[in-house]
Amino acid sequence: MTINCKGESLILSTDRAIYWASKKMLIISDLHIGKGAHFRKAGIQVPAAVNETDLDKLAKLLLTFSPEILLVTGDMFHSKMNTEVEQFSQWRAQYPDLKVILIKGNHDLLQAEDYARLAIEVHSKELLCFPFRFIHDQPAVFDEYYNITGHIHPGITIYGKARQHLKLPCFYFGRTCAILPAFSVFTGLSKIKAEEGHQFYAITPEKVVLV
Amino acid sequence: MMLEKSKGYKQVIKWLKTTRKKPFKFQTDAWEYYAEGYSGLVNAPTGFGKTFSMFLAVVIDELNNQEAAKIAGRVKLSKDSNANNRIAKEKTSKEKISKGSSAKVSMLKKAKSSTGLKLLWITPLRSLAKDLARAMTEVCRELDLDWQVGVRNGDTAQSEKLKQKKQMPEVLIITPESMHLLLAQKNTSGYFDDLQCIVADEWHELLGSKRGVMAELAISRIKGLVQEKHPERLLRIWGISATIGNMEQALDVLVPYEEVLKTIVVADLEKKIEIKSILPDHIDMLPWAGHLGHKLAHKLLPIIEKSKTTLIFCNTRGQAELWYQNLLKLDENLAGQIAIHHGSIDYELRNWIEDAIHTGVLKAVISTSSLDLGVDFKPVDTVVQIGSPKGVARFLQRAGRSGHSPYETSKIYFLPTHALELVEAAAIKEAAKTQNIESREPVVMAFDVLIQYMVTLAVGDGFDDKKLYEEVKTTHAFRELEPSEWSWMMQFITTGGDSLTAYTEFSKVEKEEGLWKVKSRQIAMRHRLHIGTIVSDAMIKVKYMTGGYVGMVEESFLSKIKPGKSFTLAGRVLEFIMIKEMTALVRKSRLKSAITPSWMGGRMSLTANLGAILRQKYNQTLDKTHEDEELDIVLPLFERQAKVSHVPKDDEFLIELIKTRDGYHFFAYPFEGRQVHEILAALIAYRLGKVKPISFSIAMNDYGFELLSEQPIPLDEENIKLLFSPVNLGEDIVASINSTEMARRKFRDIACISGLVFQGFPGKYVANKHLQSSAALFFNVFSDYDKHNLLLRQAYDEAFYQQIEEPRLAAALHRIQASKVIIVKTESYTPLCFPIKVDSLRDSMSTEELGERIARMTAEADKKEAQPQRRRKNDHQL
Repeated sequence: MTINCKGESLILSTDRAIYWASKKMLIISDLHIGKGAHFRKAGIQVPAAVNETDLDKLAKLLLTFSPEILLVTGDMFHSKMNTEVEQFSQWRAQYPDLKVILIKGNHDLLQAEDYARLAIEVHSKELLCFPFRFIHDQPAVFDEYYNITGHIHPGITIYGKARQHLKLPCFYFGRTCAILPAFSVFTGLSKIKAEEGHQFYAITPEKVVLV
Repeated sequence: MMLEKSKGYKQVIKWLKTTRKKPFKFQTDAWEYYAEGYSGLVNAPTGFGKTFSMFLAVVIDELNNQEAAKIAGRVKLSKDSNANNRIAKEKTSKEKISKGSSAKVSMLKKAKSSTGLKLLWITPLRSLAKDLARAMTEVCRELDLDWQVGVRNGDTAQSEKLKQKKQMPEVLIITPESMHLLLAQKNTSGYFDDLQCIVADEWHELLGSKRGVMAELAISRIKGLVQEKHPERLLRIWGISATIGNMEQALDVLVPYEEVLKTIVVADLEKKIEIKSILPDHIDMLPWAGHLGHKLAHKLLPIIEKSKTTLIFCNTRGQAELWYQNLLKLDENLAGQIAIHHGSIDYELRNWIEDAIHTGVLKAVISTSSLDLGVDFKPVDTVVQIGSPKGVARFLQRAGRSGHSPYETSKIYFLPTHALELVEAAAIKEAAKTQNIESREPVVMAFDVLIQYMVTLAVGDGFDDKKLYEEVKTTHAFRELEPSEWSWMMQFITTGGDSLTAYTEFSKVEKEEGLWKVKSRQIAMRHRLHIGTIVSDAMIKVKYMTGGYVGMVEESFLSKIKPGKSFTLAGRVLEFIMIKEMTALVRKSRLKSAITPSWMGGRMSLTANLGAILRQKYNQTLDKTHEDEELDIVLPLFERQAKVSHVPKDDEFLIELIKTRDGYHFFAYPFEGRQVHEILAALIAYRLGKVKPISFSIAMNDYGFELLSEQPIPLDEENIKLLFSPVNLGEDIVASINSTEMARRKFRDIACISGLVFQGFPGKYVANKHLQSSAALFFNVFSDYDKHNLLLRQAYDEAFYQQIEEPRLAAALHRIQASKVIIVKTESYTPLCFPIKVDSLRDSMSTEELGERIARMTAEADKKEAQPQRRRKNDHQL
């Protein structure tokens, strides 16, 4: 689905990503690479296939859109260095021309040299790219920039007649701020309160729908 | 009998005489069996000294051993002067069973009295422990027996636990969870060097739950430890149980070992119970549905007034809080004379309340199942049950809390919360009269509990997988455990999962010097905090700003409360200030009343026994072929049901099709109990969905179920019997469970118990940063990437096989096939359907394509204008 946001045309993909065509930029959030391994190290059984699925999904998106830039609005990695980050490193090597930019999130705890080795450009607070400010969590100040964030893992519950309801991941576009869905399949959903004038784009396996 | 001549026996009888008591026959029977080396189960009504039947058996044995030691000290090798020896001899001549001879050996060898743990006493409830300990200590003191009685559970102070570690008391009263915690310590085997007996008190209460499985496993381990170090010892295992439908099985679960002698000691005594319903003056006083029953509250006042102390049982903690407030509102003089008791109230407070009941200063206590069991509160002479108790056994148990002394009559009042509960009251009376008491089905193949247990042992002294497998196989719960399942579980805790699915970098249980152990201190600590099978929402402790704990509430409840707002807990109105370090700080509020937290708790289902009796009572109501006053009162409601719809007879099966602005309702009334209806509703929804793509919201209660759709339901006289056909049942059930949330819901507990999800601990904040996840997430991940995961299979098995047996469902369907189907179409709700309609716990099922479904749902939402979406639940005019 293509939407217009602050005069820019954005494609919302069912693979939980935004493609900003005019900048050839693919935007995702909360990739959580290494989360599975982090859990496994702590004795909690998370199948390794989770990480592979995420990377395959990302590869598919790169193939679809051929972006020049991959922008991650935080929580690209989950906690510390582990085998899954190594796995990502090998994956990364297949795309030498792709520029990867990370706005640091609360889970991004790798060392500076690790990011350098992975050829990731890191911004510790935010990235301004008119008309958008890319930032991990909700910003403290509001100005002429429209904020695109992640962190929350937004989900929406749709209520129908006859007491039916469905919970789905979504893109959220509020007055001053948009929130990206979490990219990784190993993430939960948290409900956001709807307010006047806010738009929710729910993600179903087949398409993105405005609700 | 020779036991009678033993010194210990005489001493105990003499002591009983001084308190003007004489042992009951079942008690002396139990003592004798115990002395002869038996394990077993004691079954007696409450109030007849079940505790003494076992405790004194162990005491007599100890007194005799001490005596033997004294004599052995004086006259060496003089065999006949040994009281113990005489028993042993008597035993072998009487039994002529070679198996029993190990008892003789152990008794001969044990010619010394040693200190250390002799009796391990398992209780299901923490509140029982204190009073038990008090009673036991008193007995020891009066018998001049130098024994310490200790308590170990979640309420026990750390300093006390450390003291026990240095020197175990002779008697330790413990919960199943604390038993596992004990096994999670290093060097535990020494604790059991002198252990003679394990008693599982209130065994019926543990039997049907995963806590029962915990007890089974812990007992098997302790038995194994004792056997390893003291092969000559005869460890006796006894249970104490109220009457249930499957006593034999209860014994088999507790003592599954073939090599031991076992028996059931049944008390030949009957407890008199008087059951009285609190009736409304007119049926219109009671709502058609609901769970409060406050309109009848004023009728409680005279009952409280004329009784010494009244115990008022509610089914939920939230309900208890509301009733407490309500009674105070009705009669201000009750302030200070009534109290509230439930599991979320702080330990100190609960303690105070229990003491106050003992001393008789309270007129009434409003309680949940937290006061269901055990110790006798002498002043309690009246019990009130609010709302349906859902089972005969539970009702009788609660009744037994009054008139606790032998031969006294227990008096219980039943206060219905909605009209149809009056029929349940009649059914329960009938079942109580005919002693039609339900069975408690033991839990088997609980992989989650077994996984937790394996890690528990690995955190402790470690285990040998081959030996442990054999040991676990001896328990009832895992009798059918396959080697392949065991090896899957070993892989799960050592490598993360089977070889088909990669689990790189996994670390939890590792091998060290031939034993499987947990090396990481972090993992060990997290596991210890996690032991147990009662899964709840994250709980937060509630504390006054000025100090002093009030109790606990669920985190999800507090997250909805803004600072400055008030809520009630432990009968107090509290103003919420803030959350600090996993503790909610509050101050006393000036408000008189406030919202009540709702604690999540399982819904109880009507048992099959009661369901059948209920069907009869429905028949009798219209026919007036009964003698129940409850049914007379409820008659107008049935007449109304007959007028607007139909009252189903025994050979009829009623279906109501009702179209309202909510959509198309399909109500069916099999009267099989909530659990059967849950499965049946999913099955019918699934079969209807095969006719055409359709989405349903599903609700059920003990009488029937509802399928609700916004589209017309493809149903007519033709296909109705086909829908309820027993053909293809197994396949269709699997498919229908797959397409509802049932298995997913079951997985919530499984994920917590098996350690996938860490649920936190009230008041204890553990650094588990970056390890948050949810059971639902694991359910998805395993469904997608590790289909062979046994825990996943367990979730599906629990959703169906543990809920009901396929034959029972098939029987219900056959009954329906043989019945005359009556379809009634109306435009408004009927008295029968209303309680189902307002039930908020709902499932859903859809065979529509997701995208289309959303498109339709959003289109509907657009149509609805600014009209108030939230209707109040009971706003329908009847």
